[in-house]
Amino acid sequence: MFYRLLEALDRKVGFEEAKAHCDIPCGIYDPIVAQISALTVVRMLDLMAAKEAEGGEKNAAFYNSMSRYVAVKEEHAEKVKSEIRVIWGDFIKAPQLEQFPELHGLVHKIMMLGSKARQTTDRASAVELVESVNQFAEIFWKVKGLGVHRAKYPMAPNLELVYPNL
Amino acid sequence: MLRIFKVSEDSLNPVIREGDFVLTSKIPFLLARLKPGDIVVLDHPIHGRLIKKIEKISADGREIYVIGTHEFSLDSRQFGPVSRQIILGKVIWHSRRPGR
Repeated sequence: MFYRLLEALDRKVGFEEAKAHCDIPCGIYDPIVAQISALTVVRMLDLMAAKEAEGGEKNAAFYNSMSRYVAVKEEHAEKVKSEIRVIWGDFIKAPQLEQFPELHGLVHKIMMLGSKARQTTDRASAVELVESVNQFAEIFWKVKGLGVHRAKYPMAPNLELVYPNL
Repeated sequence: MLRIFKVSEDSLNPVIREGDFVLTSKIPFLLARLKPGDIVVLDHPIHGRLIKKIEKISADGREIYVIGTHEFSLDSRQFGPVSRQIILGKVIWHSRRPGR
Protein backbone atom coordinates (compact mmCIF):
# COMPACT_ATOMS: atom_id res chain seq x y z
CA MET A 1 0.00 0.00 0.00
CA PHE A 2 2.82 2.40 0.94
CA TYR A 3 4.57 1.60 -2.29
CA ARG A 4 1.50 2.41 -4.39
CA LEU A 5 1.16 5.70 -2.53
CA LEU A 6 4.83 6.56 -3.06
CA GLU A 7 4.59 5.54 -6.70
CA ALA A 8 1.63 7.86 -7.22
CA LEU A 9 3.49 10.68 -5.47
CA ASP A 10 6.57 9.94 -7.56
CA ARG A 11 4.55 10.34 -10.74
CA LYS A 12 3.27 13.66 -9.46
CA VAL A 13 6.33 15.23 -7.88
CA GLY A 14 9.18 13.02 -9.13
CA PHE A 15 11.37 11.87 -6.26
CA GLU A 16 15.10 12.26 -6.61
CA GLU A 17 16.98 9.21 -7.75
CA ALA A 18 19.74 7.46 -5.83
CA LYS A 19 21.81 5.06 -7.88
CA ALA A 20 22.93 1.71 -6.55
CA HIS A 21 25.44 2.06 -9.32
CA CYS A 22 27.64 -0.50 -11.04
CA ASP A 23 30.84 0.47 -12.87
CA ILE A 24 29.97 -1.63 -15.88
CA PRO A 25 26.49 -2.82 -16.75
CA CYS A 26 25.56 -5.56 -14.29
CA GLY A 27 26.10 -8.96 -15.82
CA ILE A 28 23.24 -10.39 -17.81
CA TYR A 29 22.44 -13.71 -16.25
CA ASP A 30 19.50 -15.92 -17.08
CA PRO A 31 18.99 -19.61 -16.27
CA ILE A 32 16.75 -20.11 -19.32
CA VAL A 33 19.69 -21.33 -21.43
CA ALA A 34 20.38 -24.08 -18.88
CA GLN A 35 16.67 -24.91 -18.71
CA ILE A 36 16.36 -25.26 -22.50
CA SER A 37 19.56 -27.29 -22.63
CA ALA A 38 18.25 -29.66 -19.96
CA LEU A 39 15.05 -30.05 -21.97
CA THR A 40 17.15 -30.78 -25.05
CA VAL A 41 18.85 -33.64 -23.23
CA VAL A 42 15.46 -35.25 -22.55
CA ARG A 43 14.39 -34.62 -26.14
CA MET A 44 17.48 -36.33 -27.51
CA LEU A 45 16.90 -39.35 -25.28
CA ASP A 46 13.32 -39.56 -26.58
CA LEU A 47 14.51 -39.36 -30.19
CA MET A 48 17.07 -42.08 -29.51
CA ALA A 49 14.42 -44.31 -27.97
CA ALA A 50 12.07 -43.68 -30.89
CA LYS A 51 14.79 -44.49 -33.39
CA GLU A 52 15.59 -47.71 -31.63
CA ALA A 53 11.90 -48.63 -31.44
CA GLU A 54 11.57 -48.25 -35.21
CA GLY A 55 13.53 -51.49 -35.57
CA GLY A 56 14.81 -52.31 -39.00
CA GLU A 57 18.32 -52.42 -40.26
CA LYS A 58 21.08 -50.82 -38.23
CA ASN A 59 22.55 -49.21 -41.29
CA ALA A 60 24.63 -46.10 -41.87
CA ALA A 61 21.54 -43.89 -41.72
CA PHE A 62 20.64 -45.35 -38.32
CA TYR A 63 24.11 -44.78 -36.88
CA ASN A 64 24.25 -41.35 -38.43
CA SER A 65 21.02 -40.30 -36.70
CA MET A 66 21.99 -41.93 -33.42
CA SER A 67 25.42 -40.34 -33.34
CA ARG A 68 23.92 -36.92 -34.01
CA TYR A 69 21.43 -37.35 -31.13
CA VAL A 70 24.24 -38.44 -28.83
CA ALA A 71 26.43 -35.52 -29.87
CA VAL A 72 23.65 -33.00 -29.19
CA LYS A 73 22.90 -34.66 -25.85
CA GLU A 74 26.57 -34.38 -24.90
CA GLU A 75 26.77 -30.76 -25.93
CA HIS A 76 23.65 -29.68 -24.08
CA ALA A 77 24.36 -31.61 -20.89
CA GLU A 78 27.70 -29.82 -20.76
CA LYS A 79 26.00 -26.50 -21.51
CA VAL A 80 23.68 -27.00 -18.52
CA LYS A 81 26.71 -27.46 -16.28
CA SER A 82 28.55 -24.49 -17.74
CA GLU A 83 25.61 -22.06 -17.57
CA ILE A 84 24.78 -22.98 -13.98
CA ARG A 85 28.44 -22.73 -12.94
CA VAL A 86 28.69 -19.21 -14.36
CA ILE A 87 25.59 -17.94 -12.53
CA TRP A 88 26.63 -19.72 -9.35
CA GLY A 89 30.25 -18.55 -9.47
CA ASP A 90 29.82 -15.01 -10.81
CA PHE A 91 26.43 -13.85 -9.65
CA ILE A 92 25.69 -15.66 -6.41
CA LYS A 93 27.29 -14.01 -3.38
CA ALA A 94 27.26 -14.44 0.38
CA PRO A 95 23.94 -12.60 0.92
CA GLN A 96 22.19 -14.90 -1.55
CA LEU A 97 23.74 -17.96 0.06
CA GLU A 98 22.48 -16.83 3.44
CA GLN A 99 19.04 -16.43 1.92
CA PHE A 100 19.14 -19.78 0.11
CA PRO A 101 21.59 -22.06 1.97
CA GLU A 102 20.52 -25.01 -0.17
CA LEU A 103 22.15 -23.47 -3.28
CA HIS A 104 25.54 -25.17 -3.02
CA GLY A 105 23.93 -28.58 -2.66
CA LEU A 106 21.57 -27.91 -5.54
CA VAL A 107 24.38 -26.81 -7.86
CA HIS A 108 26.39 -29.89 -6.97
CA LYS A 109 23.36 -32.05 -7.74
CA ILE A 110 23.01 -30.36 -11.16
CA MET A 111 26.69 -31.04 -11.89
CA MET A 112 26.22 -34.72 -11.02
CA LEU A 113 23.03 -35.05 -13.05
CA GLY A 114 24.64 -33.24 -15.98
CA SER A 115 27.47 -35.75 -15.97
CA LYS A 116 25.04 -38.64 -15.70
CA ALA A 117 23.12 -37.26 -18.68
CA ARG A 118 26.31 -37.52 -20.72
CA GLN A 119 27.31 -40.94 -19.45
CA THR A 120 23.97 -42.73 -19.69
CA THR A 121 20.62 -42.86 -21.46
CA ASP A 122 18.66 -42.73 -18.22
CA ARG A 123 15.59 -40.60 -18.97
CA ALA A 124 14.49 -40.36 -15.32
CA SER A 125 17.82 -38.74 -14.41
CA ALA A 126 17.50 -36.33 -17.31
CA VAL A 127 14.02 -35.34 -16.16
CA GLU A 128 15.46 -34.84 -12.68
CA LEU A 129 18.09 -32.59 -14.28
CA VAL A 130 15.32 -30.44 -15.76
CA GLU A 131 13.60 -30.22 -12.39
CA SER A 132 16.82 -29.37 -10.54
CA VAL A 133 17.61 -26.60 -13.02
CA ASN A 134 14.03 -25.36 -12.55
CA GLN A 135 14.64 -25.18 -8.80
CA PHE A 136 17.82 -23.21 -9.46
CA ALA A 137 15.87 -20.86 -11.76
CA GLU A 138 13.25 -20.36 -9.08
CA ILE A 139 15.92 -19.30 -6.57
CA PHE A 140 17.65 -17.12 -9.17
CA TRP A 141 14.49 -15.16 -9.97
CA LYS A 142 13.65 -14.79 -6.30
CA VAL A 143 17.12 -13.33 -5.76
CA LYS A 144 16.37 -10.93 -8.60
CA GLY A 145 13.21 -9.98 -6.76
CA LEU A 146 10.76 -11.59 -9.15
CA GLY A 147 8.03 -14.12 -8.57
CA VAL A 148 7.88 -17.20 -10.77
CA HIS A 149 5.34 -19.48 -12.36
CA ARG A 150 5.53 -22.87 -13.96
CA ALA A 151 4.24 -23.64 -17.43
CA LYS A 152 4.48 -26.64 -19.69
CA TYR A 153 6.96 -26.06 -22.50
CA PRO A 154 4.86 -26.03 -25.69
CA MET A 155 7.11 -28.42 -27.62
CA ALA A 156 8.30 -31.96 -27.01
CA PRO A 157 9.19 -33.17 -24.45
CA ASN A 158 6.48 -30.90 -22.96
CA LEU A 159 8.00 -30.73 -19.50
CA GLU A 160 7.35 -27.89 -17.07
CA LEU A 161 9.72 -24.95 -16.92
CA VAL A 162 9.98 -22.16 -14.36
CA TYR A 163 9.52 -18.66 -15.79
CA PRO A 164 9.89 -15.25 -14.11
CA ASN A 165 6.80 -13.09 -13.66
CA LEU A 166 7.93 -10.10 -15.68
CA MET B 1 15.91 16.57 7.09
CA LEU B 2 13.79 13.71 5.78
CA ARG B 3 14.05 12.89 2.10
CA ILE B 4 12.64 10.22 -0.17
CA PHE B 5 14.64 8.72 -3.00
CA LYS B 6 13.78 6.20 -5.67
CA VAL B 7 16.51 3.61 -6.16
CA SER B 8 17.81 2.78 -9.60
CA GLU B 9 20.16 -0.08 -10.47
CA ASP B 10 20.83 -3.14 -8.45
CA SER B 11 24.20 -3.04 -6.68
CA LEU B 12 22.57 -3.37 -3.24
CA ASN B 13 20.47 -6.39 -4.16
CA PRO B 14 19.01 -8.15 -2.17
CA VAL B 15 18.93 -5.59 0.67
CA ILE B 16 17.58 -2.79 -1.50
CA ARG B 17 16.56 -3.34 -5.08
CA GLU B 18 15.93 -1.33 -8.18
CA GLY B 19 12.58 0.48 -7.97
CA ASP B 20 12.43 0.58 -4.15
CA PHE B 21 11.78 3.85 -2.34
CA VAL B 22 13.96 4.83 0.62
CA LEU B 23 13.39 7.37 3.33
CA THR B 24 16.58 9.00 4.57
CA SER B 25 17.23 11.20 7.54
CA LYS B 26 20.06 13.37 8.73
CA ILE B 27 18.53 13.51 12.19
CA PRO B 28 20.13 10.23 13.32
CA PHE B 29 23.53 11.84 12.85
CA LEU B 30 22.72 14.03 15.81
CA LEU B 31 21.47 11.16 17.87
CA ALA B 32 23.68 8.28 16.86
CA ARG B 33 26.93 7.82 15.02
CA LEU B 34 26.94 6.22 11.61
CA LYS B 35 28.02 2.63 11.82
CA PRO B 36 29.11 -0.12 9.44
CA GLY B 37 26.10 -1.78 7.86
CA ASP B 38 24.08 1.43 7.58
CA ILE B 39 22.73 2.27 4.13
CA VAL B 40 23.40 5.86 3.12
CA VAL B 41 22.65 8.15 0.19
CA LEU B 42 25.59 10.31 -0.81
CA ASP B 43 26.48 12.89 -3.42
CA HIS B 44 29.72 11.75 -4.97
CA PRO B 45 31.59 14.57 -6.74
CA ILE B 46 32.22 12.46 -9.84
CA HIS B 47 29.68 9.68 -9.83
CA GLY B 48 26.65 11.59 -8.64
CA ARG B 49 24.03 10.54 -6.18
CA LEU B 50 24.66 7.01 -4.97
CA ILE B 51 23.11 4.69 -2.43
CA LYS B 52 25.59 2.36 -0.74
CA LYS B 53 26.28 0.44 2.43
CA ILE B 54 28.88 1.61 4.95
CA GLU B 55 31.63 -0.97 5.20
CA LYS B 56 33.85 0.84 7.67
CA ILE B 57 34.62 4.26 9.08
CA SER B 58 38.11 5.64 9.59
CA ALA B 59 39.36 5.97 13.15
CA ASP B 60 38.88 9.74 13.15
CA GLY B 61 35.37 9.32 11.72
CA ARG B 62 35.95 11.57 8.74
CA GLU B 63 36.37 8.99 6.00
CA ILE B 64 33.76 6.42 5.17
CA TYR B 65 34.16 3.34 3.01
CA VAL B 66 30.99 2.46 1.16
CA ILE B 67 30.25 -0.69 -0.80
CA GLY B 68 27.51 -2.42 -2.75
CA THR B 69 26.69 -6.10 -2.53
CA HIS B 70 27.11 -6.75 -6.24
CA GLU B 71 30.48 -7.72 -7.68
CA PHE B 72 30.36 -4.86 -10.22
CA SER B 73 29.25 -2.25 -7.72
CA LEU B 74 30.92 1.10 -8.16
CA ASP B 75 32.04 1.99 -4.66
CA SER B 76 35.01 2.67 -2.37
CA ARG B 77 36.81 -0.28 -3.88
CA GLN B 78 37.21 1.90 -6.98
CA PHE B 79 36.90 5.51 -5.80
CA GLY B 80 38.26 5.15 -2.27
CA PRO B 81 36.73 6.44 0.95
CA VAL B 82 34.27 9.32 0.90
CA SER B 83 34.01 12.31 3.17
CA ARG B 84 31.29 12.27 5.81
CA GLN B 85 30.23 15.66 4.49
CA ILE B 86 28.90 14.29 1.18
CA ILE B 87 26.49 11.94 2.92
CA LEU B 88 22.94 13.19 2.45
CA GLY B 89 21.26 10.86 4.86
CA LYS B 90 20.96 7.45 6.36
CA VAL B 91 18.17 5.13 5.22
CA ILE B 92 15.75 4.71 8.08
CA TRP B 93 12.93 3.00 6.17
CA HIS B 94 12.34 1.60 2.77
CA SER B 95 9.42 0.45 0.71
CA ARG B 96 10.00 -2.52 -1.49
CA ARG B 97 8.53 -2.77 -4.94
CA PRO B 98 5.62 -5.23 -4.78
CA GLY B 99 6.00 -8.69 -6.20
CA ARG B 100 9.51 -8.92 -4.82
